[in-house]
Amino acid sequence: MNPNTPTQPPEEPLRPHVYDGIREFDKRLPNWWLFTFYATIVFWVGYWGYYEWLHVGPNNHQRIEKAIASIEAEKLAATASTKLDNASLWQMSRNPVFVEAGRATFNSICATCHKESLRGVADGGIGANLRREVWIHGGNPLDLYNTATNGVLAKGMPAWGPVLGQKRIIEAVAYVLSYHHEGEPMSIQPAVAGK
Amino acid sequence: MEQLPRPTLDSVTTIREDGSRRFVYPADVHGRFTRVRRVSGLFLIAFYLALPWIKVGGYPAVFLDIADRRFHLFGFTLTAQDAWLLFFLITGLGFLLFFLTALVGRVWCGWACPQTVFLDHLYRPIERWIEGDAVQRRALAAAPWTASKATRRIVKHALYFAVSAVITHLFLAYYVSVPELWAMMREAPASNWSSFAFIAVATGALYFNYAWFREQLCIIICPYGRLQSALQDDHSLIIGYDGRRGEPRMTVAESRERGSAAPGGAGDCVACSRCVSVCPTGIDIRNGLQIECIGCAACIDACDEVMVRLHRPKGLIRYDSLNGLAGKRTRWLRPRTSVYSVLLLVGIAVAAWAFSTLRPANFGVTRMVGAPYFVDKEYVRNQFFARIVNKRTEVGRFVVTVVRGPSDLRQTGFSGVVDVPPLGEIVEPLIFQQPRPDYRGPFQILVSVRDEAGKFHLERQVEFLGPDPRLLREEEEEEASHGGTSR
Repeated sequence: MNPNTPTQPPEEPLRPHVYDGIREFDKRLPNWWLFTFYATIVFWVGYWGYYEWLHVGPNNHQRIEKAIASIEAEKLAATASTKLDNASLWQMSRNPVFVEAGRATFNSICATCHKESLRGVADGGIGANLRREVWIHGGNPLDLYNTATNGVLAKGMPAWGPVLGQKRIIEAVAYVLSYHHEGEPMSIQPAVAGK
Repeated sequence: MEQLPRPTLDSVTTIREDGSRRFVYPADVHGRFTRVRRVSGLFLIAFYLALPWIKVGGYPAVFLDIADRRFHLFGFTLTAQDAWLLFFLITGLGFLLFFLTALVGRVWCGWACPQTVFLDHLYRPIERWIEGDAVQRRALAAAPWTASKATRRIVKHALYFAVSAVITHLFLAYYVSVPELWAMMREAPASNWSSFAFIAVATGALYFNYAWFREQLCIIICPYGRLQSALQDDHSLIIGYDGRRGEPRMTVAESRERGSAAPGGAGDCVACSRCVSVCPTGIDIRNGLQIECIGCAACIDACDEVMVRLHRPKGLIRYDSLNGLAGKRTRWLRPRTSVYSVLLLVGIAVAAWAFSTLRPANFGVTRMVGAPYFVDKEYVRNQFFARIVNKRTEVGRFVVTVVRGPSDLRQTGFSGVVDVPPLGEIVEPLIFQQPRPDYRGPFQILVSVRDEAGKFHLERQVEFLGPDPRLLREEEEEEASHGGTSR
């Protein structure tokens, strides 16, 4: 007796199709399988109702908007807490915590062009000399902050705002200001523009 | 009490005609394969569960740190940038599966798959311990609900649940490390809501799988089990019944009646159905190779035991190929195994090459946003950001230099040795200047980073850009003719 022949004759009805000599019984699906199938239908009704029909849940667009809004709110809150004006930046420039943090940022990033001495071109660097009282793009603390944040693209000063973030820029500005003092004589000479 | 019907090739034993589930109560089995499987199974469980605890190079042997996108594997630390290696890992495992299945059939299912390993060596022993052997288990299932039955069932399911919870927690430890897991476990669920939900769902799924679902996963859900059926042929090693030797099967009494009349008329199979009663998927191996068979070898041990008792040779059910069982020669070397092994070898070679290109750091040079170049009185200038990612767990000391470029090219930034913290990265400006009169059009610069000890280096090519050199010359001439006074 061949062990491969069925030991019982098929009692189920056979489906009419035959592929490569293979026939298919018409058996009942396992109940657990049917249960998962019906469960997905029930889930679909709930999901569809929640998101698409009754619009109870937020759609992707709304979800992204909400996330962006919360990020912006956080940013705003951070800005609001660090009051950004000339006086507060001067104040930070006398605060050793800010100055030290700024020194680290400055020496790793800004010093490439402005040199660790801050003297820039005067010290063989590429960037402007930040030690003099003569400025190119304005010497008020807020001017420095804006120059660092938005850059001077024509001259090659990149916009550091998106790279470093506000906190590190404020610290670096405070570090630069620590070499200056409030009320010092200040002049602006755009003509010498980094050359 | 419901007895298993005679298994057939036409239906799945574990699903009744009305679609409801029929549980199998596999009988105890002893023998060499059972023994080796028990040892290897317990070793595998210990191995799986120990991986997050063993430290290799300061990190757990396996720590897939999703949060920081670092993957510690047996002392190797891979970062997100190395994710492409996954391709080789997955295809490599795929080819290995092809090759092994063509050669030795479903050894993975019976010997190494976590489904089988955890079920056979953790959950079934618990069941055996609480509810007794197959006969007692079947009797208990059929018995009316009494306090004793309820107690046994509650204890059993509580243990199942506890084991599932332990497995799930250790599984999570693969992703968050053991100390972090322990820290999370001591906090309220709400403070680690997503992890808690994961643990709860995964524990529930494991519990359901091992307490109720069991062989249904292998028979109906697992794509891998199905795939293997297509990878085998008549020469692949399977567990099979030697019909030529066993048939016609008859009980010892029957063969004594008839066998004396016609010696050799009776096969070696004594129709004791031991092979059927020990099968965890409820098939009759004597019907031939079936999709339900996970290759656990329980029927081999069961049949050998009977054969030894009857002083007949072992191996009526054995590991053999379909050809071998039919009395033909089994060829190990054949087109299928050759192709699979070539694929496997190519895969291994490429994977070995890929892993050998892994460097302890990554290096990238990208042009800064803004104008591509700047021209001042003396220089043409290009500005880049260089990023160094240190993939080692110690401070990396790196040197960035130009290995190919004009000799008068001036590099600013990355002067001297730069330190990159362990598994950290730095992004700093890297600026190149060429004296303006020397600029003759765009050229390539080859920048390299090497570690201070000179053990490895990586190179990146960037293009130095500038204005049309003719414009520069014109401007210079103009300046010269005006004596430089015009500006």
